[in-house]
Amino acid sequence: METVRCEGLGKTYGRAVAVGDLNLSVEAGQVYGFLGPNGSGKTTTMRMLLGLIRPTSGRAWLNGRALPDPAGLAHVGAMIEEPAFHPWMTGRRSLEVLALYGPPFRRADAVAEALGKVGLTSAADRKVKTYSQGMRQRLGLALALMRAPSVVLLDEPMNGMDPAAIREFRATVRCVADSGTTVFLSSHQLTEVEQICDRVAVMTSGRVIAEGRPDDLTTAVVRVVLAPADRAAARTLLSSSFPVRAEDSDALVVGSGDGHAVNELLGRGGVWAHQIRVERSGLERAFLALTGPTGEEVEDDAASPR
Amino acid sequence: MRHLRAELATLNRPLTWAVMTAAALFCVLLAIGGADNARRAVDDTGGGRSPSCAVMRLPAGPACAQALAIQKRRIEEEHAAGTRAAARTAAQLDPIAAGAEAAGLMASLPGALAVSLLAGGHIGGEWSGRTLKNVLTQNGRRLRVVAAKLVSLWIAGVGLVCACWTCLAVAGPVIRAADHLPDPHQPTHHAVTWAGTQFGRSLVVLAAFAAIGLLAGVVTRGTIGTMAASAAIVLAMLIAATLPALGRWTPATWVQGWMGFAGGQESIGSLPDNFWSRFIDTGGTAPGHAMGLAGVTGLLVTCAVAAFVVFRRLDVTG
Repeated sequence: METVRCEGLGKTYGRAVAVGDLNLSVEAGQVYGFLGPNGSGKTTTMRMLLGLIRPTSGRAWLNGRALPDPAGLAHVGAMIEEPAFHPWMTGRRSLEVLALYGPPFRRADAVAEALGKVGLTSAADRKVKTYSQGMRQRLGLALALMRAPSVVLLDEPMNGMDPAAIREFRATVRCVADSGTTVFLSSHQLTEVEQICDRVAVMTSGRVIAEGRPDDLTTAVVRVVLAPADRAAARTLLSSSFPVRAEDSDALVVGSGDGHAVNELLGRGGVWAHQIRVERSGLERAFLALTGPTGEEVEDDAASPR
Repeated sequence: MRHLRAELATLNRPLTWAVMTAAALFCVLLAIGGADNARRAVDDTGGGRSPSCAVMRLPAGPACAQALAIQKRRIEEEHAAGTRAAARTAAQLDPIAAGAEAAGLMASLPGALAVSLLAGGHIGGEWSGRTLKNVLTQNGRRLRVVAAKLVSLWIAGVGLVCACWTCLAVAGPVIRAADHLPDPHQPTHHAVTWAGTQFGRSLVVLAAFAAIGLLAGVVTRGTIGTMAASAAIVLAMLIAATLPALGRWTPATWVQGWMGFAGGQESIGSLPDNFWSRFIDTGGTAPGHAMGLAGVTGLLVTCAVAAFVVFRRLDVTG
């Protein structure tokens, strides 16, 4: 079942197109990453899904209900951009007061449980003005999770978190997703997105330009390490089937993700490698290639001396 | 009700307590000054002796006797007026009747400015503090959110009246005794009626002030903007009331009519019971209670509806 669906969703401010003709579909229980450079329309899209911004075109559905659907927000958790709370309230009181805006909890300890999930139990009775940015992020995450929602929208949830907190966040998201909750998150922490997300969409200038599993968006190569004396023979064998380039004095990089095929080709030719390794280029490279200047410009920038 | 509880919990903040304290302090200081004014009015006219014929540059005789009689009568009238004013001030400082004083002050300029401050923090602050998105993602029913904001702000305004009344009820008898003001011989039921009537009337005026603050908040979307816009609207109402011919048909005169404030200089006494109608031109008859109520209610409804219409269509980008 689709928990998030957009058809031709768009938002314009005068002549400026913030989101244009967005088509998106997120299945239940998925962790879906929403990537894009600053100003690409990710936050605007999330705000439209939550009813904070009125779309100028298209339609959207959350949990199968057409938007706008104020009542449907009872089953949706959200954290949009930098979470903000009244500084004079404690963390616990902030969640209790915000909970009054929605329907009553089924469980009396829902707030305490949410604070425990994000590791804020010990700081729950301190005023929010004493919190660090990372603690405010975690409080925002607790707010998003406290109703045990069926879908959670998280916008830049890892901002300000230290590595330990990010690891905890990753575990929390995984745990939430495993319980059947759909997680729709945007982030610039691409290594984390690669680890957490089942699918990702890359957005730029208000449109989705690529969508799929993280593996589908990244490229793989096979690195072959062998004796320098064998390198010429290996290159001849492999170049008949794959693009090959030499690297260092003892390595070849093969333009293929199939390590088995490379190993078989070398074996039949009587060349034995010290090491054959499949390497993925990483989501960051794919993201920059999709959203930045052309790939050549990116490589030229990387190669030019600083 | 849950929304209202949430909004009232949000109003439990330093700004609210500071504004309440300031309002109560203002009322008490005004009472101290007013009682002192009243005492001086009695003292300045009480011990005066009639001047002599030589001072009046009249020869002794019938003409001087007549002039002395006129002077004596004038001094007696001034003393009586001073004593009546002092008694009225003493009546205003009665613990029960102090409710009328508190209601009058809060249903006029001081209260309007206090509600503007509260609106700035409570409504405009949701945008400045970027907390509105938290509220709307918990419940997207914007009518309920805006209604809860209006009602909670109104309750805060009523709280101002109660705080001022409480402080005046405690301080009033002390001030009265310290300035040796004459006993007003005011029946209790009169004080109850007076205070109850003015308190009840102030509820509608405070609701109108809250609606003005709500509209200002929704339009300006910021703490400072809300405070400034609310205050500016109230001042504009008072200025509009001074315009010839138009004065009777402005919100300020409707407030005056509903609350029953005396117009122009008549509203200025030892202890003013409002800071509103002194600015209003008294040419022509002031609107009565009925028209005043209709006008104030119309102002309240217009501002509340306008605020909801704007808020419903607003994109929340903060």
